[in-house]
Amino acid sequence: MARKKKCIAMLLAGGQGSRLAPLTENVAKPAVPFGGRYRIIDFSLSNCVNSNIDTVGVLTQYQPLELNDYLGTGDPWDLNLNYGGLHVLPPYQASKGGDWFKGTANAIYQNQRFIANYDPDYILILSGDHIYKMNYDIMLQEHIDNGADCTIAVMDVPIEEASRFGIMSTDETGRITEFAEKPEHPKSTLASMGVYVFTTDKLMKYLEMDEQNPESDNDFGKNVIPAMLAGGEKLHAYLYKGYWRDVGTLSSYWSANMDTLGEEPELLLNDDGWRIYYRHDFHPPTYLGEHAKMSNCNCAAGNEIDGEVCDSVLGSNIIIEEGALVKDCVIMNNVTIEKGAVVEYAIIDRNVHIHADAKVGGNKESSELTVIAAGKEVF
Amino acid sequence: MKMLGLVFADEHDADISELTAKRTFAALPFGARYRIIDFFISNMTNSGIQNIGVVATTKYESLMGHVRYGGEWDLHRSKSGLTVLPPFSFFNGEMRYENVLEALQANISYIEKNTEPYILFTCCNAIGNIDYSAMLEQHIKTGARFTCLCTKHPVNKGSDLTTTEYVLDSDGRIKDIVIHNKVTPGAYVATNTYIMAREDLLDILQQSIDQNKTSLRNDILKPALDESLIMAYVTDEKLLYIDTVSSYLKSNLALLDGDTRRELFGQELRPIITRAGNSSPAFYGEGSVSTNSIIAAGSTIEGTVRNSIIFRNVHIKKGAIVENCVINQDCTIGENAVLNYAVLDKSVNINDKRLLSGYITHPFYVKKNSII
Repeated sequence: MARKKKCIAMLLAGGQGSRLAPLTENVAKPAVPFGGRYRIIDFSLSNCVNSNIDTVGVLTQYQPLELNDYLGTGDPWDLNLNYGGLHVLPPYQASKGGDWFKGTANAIYQNQRFIANYDPDYILILSGDHIYKMNYDIMLQEHIDNGADCTIAVMDVPIEEASRFGIMSTDETGRITEFAEKPEHPKSTLASMGVYVFTTDKLMKYLEMDEQNPESDNDFGKNVIPAMLAGGEKLHAYLYKGYWRDVGTLSSYWSANMDTLGEEPELLLNDDGWRIYYRHDFHPPTYLGEHAKMSNCNCAAGNEIDGEVCDSVLGSNIIIEEGALVKDCVIMNNVTIEKGAVVEYAIIDRNVHIHADAKVGGNKESSELTVIAAGKEVF
Repeated sequence: MKMLGLVFADEHDADISELTAKRTFAALPFGARYRIIDFFISNMTNSGIQNIGVVATTKYESLMGHVRYGGEWDLHRSKSGLTVLPPFSFFNGEMRYENVLEALQANISYIEKNTEPYILFTCCNAIGNIDYSAMLEQHIKTGARFTCLCTKHPVNKGSDLTTTEYVLDSDGRIKDIVIHNKVTPGAYVATNTYIMAREDLLDILQQSIDQNKTSLRNDILKPALDESLIMAYVTDEKLLYIDTVSSYLKSNLALLDGDTRRELFGQELRPIITRAGNSSPAFYGEGSVSTNSIIAAGSTIEGTVRNSIIFRNVHIKKGAIVENCVINQDCTIGENAVLNYAVLDKSVNINDKRLLSGYITHPFYVKKNSII
């Protein structure tokens, strides 16, 4: 029996994420914890399964140990399937030698045999480092309706931020007429989100051409998209209006975490219509002590809290003792904050111990964001 | 593997009929995110047991939905694993087993087809973090025929129910088995948990079927006390009993005590595992108050919670006051509602400004899916 998938996803998860250091010291960016109980990659993976895409190749390269462990067989996302499901695709050696993935396009090129197993009509290319809730199925349908060769998801950004992105100009039908990667003088405010749908045959043709060009950086934004545009292919923009953040820097990572707070958060995590799935670690539920004071915060499991916490996102297995104050913070798993310590406007990575009466960070209005790297002790 | 495990899921349904109207006893929610069966499966897997049968006779849909193939406990294996054993037409055609012996007799084929030299079988009305491998070690060392689990610390055992107690000699051998109307202080209270050789159990079961015996305690254990070595294994752990709605509330609230909580959940090598939901983190709003409480993920707290156990996906709205309560999954407490000593079953909706008050001995129980 011939077997086939209509659309598979290729998720680029190999980047180093150096601007997120020290959070990415020993972990690939997609495996960095987010929002108390998630990892960054959970958003893209959950979007896939919520959009009826059940075959996902995850391309790994930088610090893959924890990411691989986290992904496992893909069971938290119901991607542990006999045909399809989640596949981790690392760089490999072959009879003609082997190579690291040279760029985003080359990573896909090197995994043509994986793609061929599913003979998909369409390929969805995703990044593992964006926080958003998006229905790819609607985008795919638009791609099909337009008869496009490639559809690029875009969002409207303020003009002053436009030069940080790949910027698209479109005609009245949404067809892309011009594409500029990080232009100094942007002609439009439609920014690429790094989410692409390709018709498989066209993608393969242009990946082959890109590979033949020794000058190429083998990158989708820099090389493949401009080449397709120059070749007269039909490229469309798909305008996305929901929440989307690139959490590539420490301050954007902190802000996106804060977006999960409030009575009507910008990024709603408790969303029955669009669940974000994650791998569980088993902790008992959180205990709040006699002196606990919680205001505007998210809190995962296994915590013992007897201090004051406001405007913060807490992971699991955290101890906050009586008299400690935590404000405007992202606190990851296995952190202890002793009596009388004050922690303000900070990201505290895993396994940090903040001793009694220590001061970390300062007022959000007047100080810089403080980051405490994993495993540190603060006195 | 050395030992096969069997849990009787509904030996105690009748004791707590309000909460077991729609589910078997073992599927009762407990401790903000668990069901009772979790403690037994976790204790067994933490003790190295890889083959577990869960004997269920009625209302086992939520039990099966919860444990499924036992994947959470790494029991989803090709050679062994977790098996839910629903009733099937057994020797006398009756559908419901009245006691442990009948439940064992009914599942004789399951006991037969597995090959472990020992078997542990247990009822599930007393919750603790128990190391069954230490119990097995004692069983092997003493050469006992039966080893029976008991405790000197039964917590919240309902006072109006009969209790089985062991009389021990100085070596821990059981000299007598007595039944009292209430717990005798300092007595060794039986938990209905036994270890023995599997082949020996099969012989006993075959004989008991032939001779129409129906009670493990009266027909098997008591007559054998003199000729066979029947040992007690006394656990030092506190055991939390659940046998009335009041003890259900009390045993839940007992988790607010740090030592009890750490004894049960804080044992590094013996974690209690449950089926994962996909809840988001709990959210605590501005102006909310939560003290001395256990609050599971997915909940939204905007009002006041004190001395309570809050399960997953509960919404406590502004101005609401919840004290000394157990609030099960998916409940909503309306604005300015006041609840004291209430036990809310799953998916209860309390409208704004409602007042519900019980007492620790007589909690205000609200059944599943009610709207007040």
